[in-house]
Amino acid sequence: MSAVSKDAPAVVAHRVRRRVFREQLLAYGLVAPLLLWLGASLLYPLAEALVLSVQDVGIIGTRGHFVGLANYARILGDAGFWLSLVRSVVWIVGNAVVQTVLALATALLLAEEFPGVHVARVWVIVTWIVPTIVVVIIWRWLLSTSGGMINPLLMQLGLISRPIGFFSSGPMSMTALILINSWRWFPFVAIMFLSGLQNIPLDVYEAAAVDGAGGLQRLTRITWPLLAPTVFVLTIIGTLLSFNVFDVVWLLTGGGPSDATTTLPVLIYRTAFKAYRLSEAATMSVVATVLLMGFALLAIRQLAPKSQGA
Amino acid sequence: MLRRSLLTTALALTATGGLTGGARAAAPVTITLWHMEQPPHRVQRVQELLDAFNKANPDIVARQEPQSWGDVYAKAPAAIAAGNAPDILFAIPDFTTVIKQLGTLAPVQDLVAELDAKHKFIPAAVKPYSYDGGVWAVPLYNMALSLWYRKSVLQAAGVAAPQTWSQWQAAAKALTKGGVYGMGLPANKQLYTDQTVYAVMTNAGASELFNADGSVCFDNPESVAAFKFYKDLYQYTAPDAASWTWGEAEACFDSESCAMVLQFTVIKSYDQQGGKPDDLGVIAVPHADSRTASNTIAYSNAAMILAKDPAKQAAARKLITFLLEPENYGRFLNMEPGLFLPVTQDGAKSASFWGDPLTAKYRPQVETMIANSQFGMLFGFTGEKVFPSIGAISAQNILAETLQKVVVDGQSPEAAVKAGQARMQDAARK
Repeated sequence: MSAVSKDAPAVVAHRVRRRVFREQLLAYGLVAPLLLWLGASLLYPLAEALVLSVQDVGIIGTRGHFVGLANYARILGDAGFWLSLVRSVVWIVGNAVVQTVLALATALLLAEEFPGVHVARVWVIVTWIVPTIVVVIIWRWLLSTSGGMINPLLMQLGLISRPIGFFSSGPMSMTALILINSWRWFPFVAIMFLSGLQNIPLDVYEAAAVDGAGGLQRLTRITWPLLAPTVFVLTIIGTLLSFNVFDVVWLLTGGGPSDATTTLPVLIYRTAFKAYRLSEAATMSVVATVLLMGFALLAIRQLAPKSQGA
Repeated sequence: MLRRSLLTTALALTATGGLTGGARAAAPVTITLWHMEQPPHRVQRVQELLDAFNKANPDIVARQEPQSWGDVYAKAPAAIAAGNAPDILFAIPDFTTVIKQLGTLAPVQDLVAELDAKHKFIPAAVKPYSYDGGVWAVPLYNMALSLWYRKSVLQAAGVAAPQTWSQWQAAAKALTKGGVYGMGLPANKQLYTDQTVYAVMTNAGASELFNADGSVCFDNPESVAAFKFYKDLYQYTAPDAASWTWGEAEACFDSESCAMVLQFTVIKSYDQQGGKPDDLGVIAVPHADSRTASNTIAYSNAAMILAKDPAKQAAARKLITFLLEPENYGRFLNMEPGLFLPVTQDGAKSASFWGDPLTAKYRPQVETMIANSQFGMLFGFTGEKVFPSIGAISAQNILAETLQKVVVDGQSPEAAVKAGQARMQDAARK
């Protein structure tokens, strides 16, 4: 009896450990297929790109030879690659600024209660769900000098004296592209901001109002700081998404005029499918992936909101 | 008894191939056609022709899978690598050089010779596909760039249809007034600009990009003269021409914002806008004052055979032969009336071609287009040899890129052409 009672805690502990182990095994077993699938679908393309980057494959489907790091040396020494990277940074920053301003203003408006606000909250997302090709056709037509609406409107307003080509010079093309892309994406950011705004307790604003805080103070001292987690997530996701935007740029300008809108994804596409240098394109992709991962890690370390308890 | 009966039946079925086996033996050969004629009315016309072919050949099922020119340069090599290649793939000359490098392209000189004996190919249509000791695609339809204008507009401005560069520039200047641009000329880094640039180059005597040994010879005085003239003419185009493709230029002409344009055709849209056939003018691209005759850019679209299986190869040849029969060929060309031109002599006379209402309505213009196509050439396919690097030079739009350096960046034509030569040499490196 005494032996049994003496052994009982060890037996119970053993049983608990076995049960926990079985539960953990089951849990791992349940998620394992998904993890394997994720691993394969993420790692396999990366591994393929890495292998391609140390070969000299030209046209897709042809064989290549091992060339070591020659592609990396060529790419990293190519001014065109770095210029494209700079254009990508301009593209990301331009989109971030325009989209943040438009989205925050829209979110603040939609956070108010007014007649029709529920309909507005749904309809604001429309530009985001429009297919890219439709966006491109709409804007090409609007900005055209042959029947487009923007030029006559600007002339009637007295802002210009003769039609202008929005994609005829480098700076104007990049500006037009950023505005068009922002027009498409800001509703998505606005909805994210709106959900962040709705998580801010009303009593904080009420307390601030009692203390005499004005609208601007409430925006800068309460709204913006408490939106920090949303801004942090959007900074990372938005940067990665903006960097990878290819369709709008390619369809509207093809990277021109004179390469003025050739961002890195456009250069990668051109190198792979226009210059038929698949390995060089893969090398650029690997370098871009490293840069983006570096950015994400840095952003998480530097920008992540600090926990209150820490 | 029953067992013997069953055994006899089984043996009989085995000897005759059995019901299943017999049905399998009679199974039709299925071939897949990839073409890049995506507009729905073209797809529908191709389907009508395939239906007629399938009906006439019960042992073959031909089906189409329309693709886009934007995707096919990447998609076709990937499909070939994956073993999912179509049996017939439509092509333009530079695309053929890309596919040929993959080593799966079947030569078709015997089929072309057979069809030439029956229908008489226009030699310029076959030439871009004839190199390295073989013919690599069967020409199907031609396209040639011409200068389009409204006769009444030129008459009102007191200018004649230009034949030389100085007349062309003077006409463009005279026609540029009241919100109208005298000459619609693109400067986008895109195929359309490659075509208009080369049309000007050929009329300066700068049609060759390669020397006989394969070295690039783009940097020459004739090329520089062509880019200089293009720049002079470009001042009379619309301000957004640096982003134009064919559609924008055609829209500019249709809306009467452009007095003249370089296009393969404007017939369909012009007619849809209610234009009068008698008022639509078309002439050859004007030539440099120092020259006596005009050239243009023209190229035939063709069909490559990728099928490896002999039965599929035979079926693919049968389909191509069917399309070039005069009674079918006109219907095939008129999937886009007034754009696709015949590549065979009997096709140019066929009732099925001229019987289309729109083609008949604009017969003088179509005849001029056909005449212009006789003097057409294509960059990289003018010499006796074709060099594979033309695929990369064409795909990267280096002619258009050179033009942008002149009209967008403001470089001198000499410097831009020199840079263009370097880019072509770089494209040619392995």
